[in-house]
Amino acid sequence: MDPIGRRTLLRTGLLAVAGAMAGPALLTACGTGGEPAARPQQDGRRGGTLRAAFTGAGAAETLNHFTGGTAMDMVRARALHATLGDIDPTAPDGVRYGVLDTIEIATDLSAYTLRLRPKLTFSDGSPLTAADVLWSLMSPADNPASLPVYKNPAANFDFSGARIEDDRTLVLPTLTPIADGRLLLCQGNYLVVKEGSDFSPGTPTSGPFTLQEFEPGVGSLLTRNDAFSLPDADDAPYLDGLELRSIADSDARAAALTGGQIDFAHDLAPVTAQTLRGDDRFTVSSTEAPYVSGLFFRMNLAHEPFRDDRVRTAFKLAADRQAMVDSVFFGDAVVGNDLMSPGFPDYAPEIEQRPFDPDRARRLLREAGADGMSIALTTGPETPGMVEVATLYVENLKEIGVDATLDELPAGQLFADYPAYARLPLAASFSVPTPALPLYQMSYGGQNPSALGWDRPDVDALVAEARGSSGAESAEAGLAAQQVLWEEGNTIAPVFKPFTTAAVPGVSGVADDLFGQFPGFSRTSLS
Amino acid sequence: MNRWAFWLRRLVAGAVALVALSLLIFGATELLPGDAVSAVAGPTATEEERAAVRERLGLDRDAATRYLEWAGGALRGDLGTGYLGARPVTEVVGARLPHSLLLAALALAVTVPVAVVAGLAAGMRAGGPVDHAVSAGTLLVAGLPEFVLATLLLWALAAGPGLLPQVSMVPLGGSPLDAPEILVLPVATLAVSGIAVATRLIRARTADIAATPYIEAARLRGVTGPRLALRHVLPNALGPAVQALGMVTGALVGGAVVVETVFGYPGIGRELQEAVAYRDVPLVQGIALVLCAIALAVLLLTDLLARALDPRSGGAR
Repeated sequence: MDPIGRRTLLRTGLLAVAGAMAGPALLTACGTGGEPAARPQQDGRRGGTLRAAFTGAGAAETLNHFTGGTAMDMVRARALHATLGDIDPTAPDGVRYGVLDTIEIATDLSAYTLRLRPKLTFSDGSPLTAADVLWSLMSPADNPASLPVYKNPAANFDFSGARIEDDRTLVLPTLTPIADGRLLLCQGNYLVVKEGSDFSPGTPTSGPFTLQEFEPGVGSLLTRNDAFSLPDADDAPYLDGLELRSIADSDARAAALTGGQIDFAHDLAPVTAQTLRGDDRFTVSSTEAPYVSGLFFRMNLAHEPFRDDRVRTAFKLAADRQAMVDSVFFGDAVVGNDLMSPGFPDYAPEIEQRPFDPDRARRLLREAGADGMSIALTTGPETPGMVEVATLYVENLKEIGVDATLDELPAGQLFADYPAYARLPLAASFSVPTPALPLYQMSYGGQNPSALGWDRPDVDALVAEARGSSGAESAEAGLAAQQVLWEEGNTIAPVFKPFTTAAVPGVSGVADDLFGQFPGFSRTSLS
Repeated sequence: MNRWAFWLRRLVAGAVALVALSLLIFGATELLPGDAVSAVAGPTATEEERAAVRERLGLDRDAATRYLEWAGGALRGDLGTGYLGARPVTEVVGARLPHSLLLAALALAVTVPVAVVAGLAAGMRAGGPVDHAVSAGTLLVAGLPEFVLATLLLWALAAGPGLLPQVSMVPLGGSPLDAPEILVLPVATLAVSGIAVATRLIRARTADIAATPYIEAARLRGVTGPRLALRHVLPNALGPAVQALGMVTGALVGGAVVVETVFGYPGIGRELQEAVAYRDVPLVQGIALVLCAIALAVLLLTDLLARALDPRSGGAR
């Protein structure tokens, strides 16, 4: 995935075909609308208002999640609008449905039939129908301002041939046969909005909450939507209210938490999280794979030395991955194997873990005649830990005889001039949780500019074959594609970091929503 | 020069300065690396999608055309629309500017009396122990960057003892005055900086005036102490003091960018910082222009006020 700015973490992050299990049960915390402590509850489960803080973007925040790419925009949208479903490997179809009852796949993979649960309504009492689902999936494709993730369904399904068979049944033909359409549609970020919605504050909602107050850059106040229900939890949502606060800086979110101004702080920097771990007043939780974000470096194949496989391998062997995990993330991260999406079903865990082997790296560089080569690694503080990991990697490169330097750009600049970014010889980036094969197609294969010169039609074909088949055939093609990427690819992915949150004691059920990087709070309760 | 000619000249100079500043702002945003296309279209957008976004945002036209359109809109009160949130810039400014002006006004309310008293006390006895103490103290504080000062105050009053909130969160749907405690640290940071600068300016002018023959003559006539300061020195120092405070006011508005960001206060400064981070060029241009216009207006007003207060002009009696 690729070059993403702080805003586009979220914008591409929304791609997150989040999979599998959420991390350990998250947080605890309680809160009330404007009080520093949790409000007592009548029945011990329902009630209370949770105050939570997320990264926002000032005036750029919007109720239209098709165009708004901050964490605040996505979390607010998930609280307001019901999902089609979330990825859940423990479920029979690999997904846990939201408004859907089932997704049936034609045997020839030519069409997907989406069936809605009965008697669904919006907060104004109007019925939620297949037409609303179709509009929610289709309308972003026509808007140039839509985030790329919301255009993705149109890249896989033929909306012009879509059929609404009745209020609860929608048939979506595929553009080319795909077997992973359920994963694609049930990513946690595809939400159902009323057909023709203008996203004004009065728009009826289908999710666990309704909007009472919205002030871009400041926050939102939401109250429980009694028209909402979950198939497996009749009395959810449990919270009376949800106060979402926009606080851009990780340290400021932590300060608001320790000062009693909020009950839940999202996406904390490693040092901040480590500090809070030592404080008994708070519970710190981190997501686990696959809900982790990859920090990686990409070698530009237009840059002569990197055209040699031996140089690319040397650069991969030079990375002291465990040291990065230990020193930057205090052990709270996952060692990467130069492949994206660890933990997702289509990731290839069979491929051996690449070792830290500076001696072999030196030998390979010498053989390639590249020892002593000069290179600048360009990075920026686009996500916590990114600069620190790059700093350590530059030291690793120096140890194998590379004349490496670090070019650290100010926040927000790394991806600001994208054509210039695509010309960098060695560039840092980060990914968000997304299954491996759709991610390859979206941001790496097909001569995608973010791949920095990777152009391998044979691997593109293997990925297409894996996505267009199932069972052993799919697994074999997927493994073969990732084996080539591991051996010959131009990506060094040494670390995958979690999304770390902290809360005061008393909150439970945040992680039960799945899609751990952007909690929707439909199952959160206070005690 | 008569008063009206003076006012007219100042107004014309202010207008010319504003036009020059608008050119500077527009030029500076043109020089920013990249354009809004990368931010709006996303990193995985195709060239066709990037071209469509560029056309929709009007970025496919030449810079001169875009400047004239922007400046013409600004004259009509239309500062354009933010790229990312699609909100009118005037609406954003209207929502955030009052918060920042409140900070600046409160800081000024603290700064003026303290700076005048300290500046007079130090300047009346230049070289004395009071002057040494005030000068050393203000020099030390004036040399501290605002983010350092803000951090020190945060540590001393909020993070440690927990006397004040660390983040200035305005109540949803309310105003900062609904939670006055959130204003204390930002106002204190701005005021301490402002006091240091203003005191030094007033002290210097007071010391000059205190050394003039007519003040010496007053002393010889037996006028000393507060009477000398208030009746003879202060009237002559008022004009320069007002100009000094005008400069400090401009700095208070500018300083809001740092202070609001540190404390998470939703004012125009923080909005500017966010807009720069997200390459929202119309928002950056609009906010910068408004801040420049405010600073120019304050300087113009203080010029006029200083002239009115100058005993030589017959304005002060």
